[in-house]
Amino acid sequence: MIEVLGVHKSFGTLEVLRGVSLEVEAGEVVVVLGPSGSGKSTLLRTINHLEKVDRGFIAVDGELIGYRRRGGKLYELKERDVLKQRRNIGFVFQNFNLFPHLTALENVAEVADLAEARRFLDRVGLADKENAYPRQLSGGQQQRVAIARALATHPKVVLFDEPTSALDPELVGEVLDVLRDLARSGTTMVVVTHEIGFAREVADRIVFIDQGAIVEEGTPGEVLDHPVHERTRAFLSKVL
Amino acid sequence: MPSSGTLTIVSSKDRSEDLVSSPVVAARHPWRWVGVVAVLVLAAQFVHGLVTNPGWDWPTFARYFTAQSILTAVGTTILLTVLGTVIGFALGIVVAILRMSRSPFLSAVGWTYIWAFRSIPLIVQLLFWFNISYLYQRLSLGVPFGPEFVSFETVELISPMGAAVLGLALHQAAYAAEIVRSGVISVDPGQLEAAAALGIPKGRQFRRIVLPQAMRAILPNAANEVISLFKGTSVVSVMAIGELFYQVQVIYGRNARVVALLMVATVWYIILTTLLSVGQHYVERYFARGDRR
Repeated sequence: MIEVLGVHKSFGTLEVLRGVSLEVEAGEVVVVLGPSGSGKSTLLRTINHLEKVDRGFIAVDGELIGYRRRGGKLYELKERDVLKQRRNIGFVFQNFNLFPHLTALENVAEVADLAEARRFLDRVGLADKENAYPRQLSGGQQQRVAIARALATHPKVVLFDEPTSALDPELVGEVLDVLRDLARSGTTMVVVTHEIGFAREVADRIVFIDQGAIVEEGTPGEVLDHPVHERTRAFLSKVL
Repeated sequence: MPSSGTLTIVSSKDRSEDLVSSPVVAARHPWRWVGVVAVLVLAAQFVHGLVTNPGWDWPTFARYFTAQSILTAVGTTILLTVLGTVIGFALGIVVAILRMSRSPFLSAVGWTYIWAFRSIPLIVQLLFWFNISYLYQRLSLGVPFGPEFVSFETVELISPMGAAVLGLALHQAAYAAEIVRSGVISVDPGQLEAAAALGIPKGRQFRRIVLPQAMRAILPNAANEVISLFKGTSVVSVMAIGELFYQVQVIYGRNARVVALLMVATVWYIILTTLLSVGQHYVERYFARGDRR
């Protein structure tokens, strides 16, 4: 469903991604772990073209992201076409990025009709909060609205960029519950997180990334309990 | 010296029960009262002067305050303000968008517009438009450097009122553009990222996401501009347009009741500015709706 092939990305002289390749199957849940600054968020942001890659390719459901291939050449897509492609790729931000001047329902209805927006709010358990503005909601509730909004374009894959990192500890659970639910319903997901327990329970595959490259990947049992690489062990010893 | 671990706000002489039962005397501020009295005395003197000094000439004020000629002039002033604001801000939004464009050429166009119209004093610009027919006798539509399809006499096309609206609006647009831009850049970049991630089309992003939030920062400045434009319309009196300030000048030129007629204009300016300020309060409250807790 997602193919990432040899992706390089630099910010100025800092090389953030150095040839990352990753494939995600339909219905698969992939958790990306790694120390801060390892490039995991950047990787996620290249998948929906919030960051343009310097080298390499990304395809979602067989469609090249950000480019069109014709006659052996790659043509950069216009903003408008990139925006259309993004409707297939849901994205959930660490800081929610809800629209503060719109109610919960209006936030979701920005990309769906009202009836459908209500359904998605209901799915994340916030049907009774549809008229609340983001500032009137707790962090956990805000993130759940943001998830409903990301689902409202009927994306083929959903990307989560540290969805619980900005939350108070007691609010993390309610957001992870929603993620668990989505995973069970067969949503294709890539989740960048520091919640090792969640990764162990929900991930089909864990990818450990460090210094802009994938160090190792495998089932939670393999990566978390029997890490092969020294850097993976060093990271896990700090977070477990 | 306090010994470690014990709190010593209670000295050995006072026991804590005494402290709890002592009445609290609020701090006194005698100089505040001196200030209040001084201001009250000055204010009373001023009001007394307004009433007793015959120089204010209140009967003349009363005669002209609601005279037909004055009301018509107030209408013209309001019309100039409304047209200047609406056209100025509409054009200002366009200029702000140009200025923020990622195309260096369009950005330079926006920058140049703002530079030019902020550099020229309003009164100079107004006189240019007023005298435009010296520069261009005819205006025509056609192929550049080629045949003309229609042409107009400039004098007929640009009346004094037209020149005034044109000048005010073009001047206003330069300031409006900067105000709109300051509002737009005050919006959290995460908002644009979220809108982009949702695939919301560009125009809709601006209308639905950016502008309503930018309004929070735009409104106080914009209200300032509208009020300043409203009083600034008095500048067009140099073009002999019958707005409020020109009209009172005409009248006191005839009857020499300068102070009374200046007061007529002043009170009208105060009343209308007050209405604008009240309007500002409600519009700001509307755009702050997401701030309620």
